[in-house]
Amino acid sequence: MSTQKVFPIFAAAFAVIYALAVVYNWALFTYHPKINEWQWLAQPAKNGPPMYWYGWLVTSLLGASAVSLISWPLTRRGSAQLWLGWVVPIVVVVVFVYLFRNFFLR
Amino acid sequence: MVMYLIIFHGLLAVALLGGITHQAMSVAWPSRSKDGIVRSFRAVNSSVYTNANIVLYLVTATLGGIIYPVYRVGVRTFLEDARLNSAVGSFELKEQFIAVGLGMLPLYWMLWHRPPEADSKLARTAVTLILCAIVWYSFVVGHVLNNIRGLFGL
Repeated sequence: MSTQKVFPIFAAAFAVIYALAVVYNWALFTYHPKINEWQWLAQPAKNGPPMYWYGWLVTSLLGASAVSLISWPLTRRGSAQLWLGWVVPIVVVVVFVYLFRNFFLR
Repeated sequence: MVMYLIIFHGLLAVALLGGITHQAMSVAWPSRSKDGIVRSFRAVNSSVYTNANIVLYLVTATLGGIIYPVYRVGVRTFLEDARLNSAVGSFELKEQFIAVGLGMLPLYWMLWHRPPEADSKLARTAVTLILCAIVWYSFVVGHVLNNIRGLFGL
């Protein structure tokens, strides 16, 4: 049960780290689909468009796991902050709509 | 092969759409009566959908990730050339929303596997509705993009 108290923190951290990963391109690896090649970290295009999505997901997974692990001792005493797990993702979703607004405005 | 994967991806998405919509409706707008199709739709035992929804979300997202390179190389380039910016942006948003939803799955599981207390009831409803909205958005965008040439006469 005490382990589950970090789940709201995991959801919030995942959303925030993912948004940061997209904005600053913190991809742990890059995939070049046209030549079927994987490279560590964010790399520029190489004969076709690069794909960072997989790298962003892994960055977020590792980052959110680390944040959850660090915050675990703190959550053992208090109650689970459940609101974090849905308010923060909603804010991140709104931020993404704002960030990608140009696709719909031009 | 990719065509079969896209069809399978779509079928799984339909199953997920049904499961998460049933659960979201039953938790946000519950009904005890089963009179009529709308009330029956809302009067389900919502907790039984949780594990299936999680598995379906993960498998559908994984399949989407497998077929994603085909979209990135072939379809997106075509959409950009056709100046269908809204279509490109819609898919970009789908990609980000699904990722946010992935991070919420452990919390979603936890909220549906503990007794509904006052504080967790709101969180349970909110998380379920957010995931339901993500699944609906992703389904509609995926479906429209899959048929975009026919829909827009391209």
